[in-house]
Amino acid sequence: MSSTADLSIAPMQGTFLSRRPLLVFCLLICATVLLLLLNVAIGSVQYSFSEILAVLRAPFDTSTASAIIWNIRIPRAIAAVFGGAYLAASGLLLQIYFRNPIVGPYILGISSGATLMVSFVMLTTVSAGLTMLSPYLNTLAAFIGAYVVMLIVLAVANRVGGGATLLIVGLMMGYLCGAVSAILTALAEKEKIKGFVLWQLGSFSGFKWNEITLLLLGGGLIIVLLYCLSKPLNAFLLGEEYAASLGVNIRRFRLLILLCSCALAGMITSMAGPVAFIGMAVPHMARLSFGTSDNRILIPGACLMGAVVTSLCDLIARSVMAPVELPLSAITAFFGAPIVIFLLLKRRVKL
Amino acid sequence: MNHPADNPVLEVRELSVGYKNTPVLRGLNFAYERGQFISLLGPNGAGKTTLLRTLSRHLPPVSGAIQVRGRPLEKLSALELARIMAVVLTDKITPPLLTVEEFVALGRYPHTDYLGRLRPEDRARIHGALDDVRAGYLRQRQFSDLSDGERQKVLIARALAQEPQLLLLDEPTVHLDLRHRIEVMTILRDLCRHQGITVVASLHDVDVAAKISDRVAFIKNSGMMAWGSPESILTAGSVAELYDFDQAVFDSALGGLEIRGSVTAGRVFVVGGMGSAAAVYRMLTKKGFAIATGVLQQHDLDFHVARALGADCISVEPMEPVNGAGLDQARRLLATCDLVVDTGFAVGPANQGNVELLTTALAQGKTVLSLRENGAALLSGAGSAHLYPCRDADQFLHLLDSTVLTNAMQQEEHA
Repeated sequence: MSSTADLSIAPMQGTFLSRRPLLVFCLLICATVLLLLLNVAIGSVQYSFSEILAVLRAPFDTSTASAIIWNIRIPRAIAAVFGGAYLAASGLLLQIYFRNPIVGPYILGISSGATLMVSFVMLTTVSAGLTMLSPYLNTLAAFIGAYVVMLIVLAVANRVGGGATLLIVGLMMGYLCGAVSAILTALAEKEKIKGFVLWQLGSFSGFKWNEITLLLLGGGLIIVLLYCLSKPLNAFLLGEEYAASLGVNIRRFRLLILLCSCALAGMITSMAGPVAFIGMAVPHMARLSFGTSDNRILIPGACLMGAVVTSLCDLIARSVMAPVELPLSAITAFFGAPIVIFLLLKRRVKL
Repeated sequence: MNHPADNPVLEVRELSVGYKNTPVLRGLNFAYERGQFISLLGPNGAGKTTLLRTLSRHLPPVSGAIQVRGRPLEKLSALELARIMAVVLTDKITPPLLTVEEFVALGRYPHTDYLGRLRPEDRARIHGALDDVRAGYLRQRQFSDLSDGERQKVLIARALAQEPQLLLLDEPTVHLDLRHRIEVMTILRDLCRHQGITVVASLHDVDVAAKISDRVAFIKNSGMMAWGSPESILTAGSVAELYDFDQAVFDSALGGLEIRGSVTAGRVFVVGGMGSAAAVYRMLTKKGFAIATGVLQQHDLDFHVARALGADCISVEPMEPVNGAGLDQARRLLATCDLVVDTGFAVGPANQGNVELLTTALAQGKTVLSLRENGAALLSGAGSAHLYPCRDADQFLHLLDSTVLTNAMQQEEHA
């Protein structure tokens, strides 16, 4: 038994919210706010600092500047922050669930499944007559697509197991969904194609305020729920069998993780299109910068990191070749792919 | 150690375990008492892991009842069970970026609040658990950087952090070096003795199990072949039957296995006694000699080793002098051997007969290797031309090789 003296000299490193996580949290919050402001301030139409301040002080003015900032830039900036956060959280969940560091919603084909269902809605007339639902139809379709692909990947994963197999199954699901989407695109009417192709490139542009509300409420609720699940998620780091022996109700918990993960990824995919690498690379960046696997730190940490990375990518996509906008997934791939390769080389992660 | 059987920690009745209604083991009945060390022994694939997984509720039982502290296992909530039972499994887990302390802290799961926040008493328990497994010095290390032995100790500490009354371990010493093997076993034994934890472990080392367990279960042929104290059920016959081998013999007096070899060389008569011959028997067996030996007093260490190695063994009752019928038998046996070894046994009034055996052998022109300090002095007079003194085991082994050669050459000459 350890004495009290022993306890008092026990270093506090590794305890909940010790110095390093606190510092990283502060940095990430500052970065998020800064990028949020930059995303509002910078755009193809240039406004001076005072002009922007004036517009922000008087919302819903009738001027063009007000329209651009309040209806285009601010929703987009907010969408990038929360989209990145949710994708990162979704990826973190999947990595814990599959105990495999190289999974993410995009890699596992979840985004492709959502894309497929959205392509059905956007390119065909199956949704005709459902106009009442139309604002939410994309979201609904994306959910369904995400869950169906998830179920298929799970069924296969249960049979074979093994990290590499899981990745291949995910990739194959991605190809299959892509193939169907491609066929639908070939058969679709021209004006519908353009919307779909733009959507498919992934972008946080064109977010409407009602979508933002949905994003904040629905996603926020899930993130809060996830935070409450961080204790069983930590137990899950030991694998299902140990988690069960620690008192986690595995069946209920598994379902909950997958539902949350697909809901987050599906929601973002339906609104912003498939965005690559955020879900896979950001949880690693969070893990390394916080120096822990403790999900009580990682869930908010990955969300903030996702917000920062996605906002930055969006800023780059919009401003580097302005007024031409680069596809967001291209920029995130430039970030994400080297990180994954680096991690593999450093043997920080194993397949 | 034997508490009254009124409140066993775990009790099973007519239990069948297996996968999807195909029983691997049938009709199990046993009770684990507080503070007992229970070893599950049996060949690979016999169902030890299946039994452990059923007891830990990772697998549903095919039929029968399991009671944990008097309550049916299936009625306990996951958290209630986690406060009574902890497990150490064989699957290799490597959660990244967790210190040993954080890893062990995960074991506090059933005792902490909904966010898993650690109170001072939780920390005390975590440090206590690490101290119990003598791994306090690892506290700040990364779990993923640990060696296999350190990892196993930390896994046990994690289980202890649950404050269990019952600890199930699946092959806790496999892949470990000797030091960690012994360390892990003594840690587990201390948990039984000092904390009253009931430890159930599947093991492969019969000798270690025999020396540490309070109860041993033999798992084989879809059931429990034997159940009881190791002193009563671990015998040469039962161990050989359990593992289906004849290359080694378990001896309960020696508490270990003697490895037999196939005979590829000649036949050696060993004159020894009082433990002087045990190492000689093993050396000869390694070199492929058939062994005859005598005259030994029964229950001498040499007697146990010789029998375990399958030697032709001439013996007399304990405390009886070496003479008479036994000595005559030994003389006849010696005459059939190619080589004689004097182990350097202590000489006294009771074993003058053995000295006689050696002088007779020399007189008959047999080659005698003597490990005695001054063999020539004791055996002088008899044709000492064939007496080869050996300083130590190395010289003995060297001579053994060369005399084998010369003997073989002589035999060719005769032919």
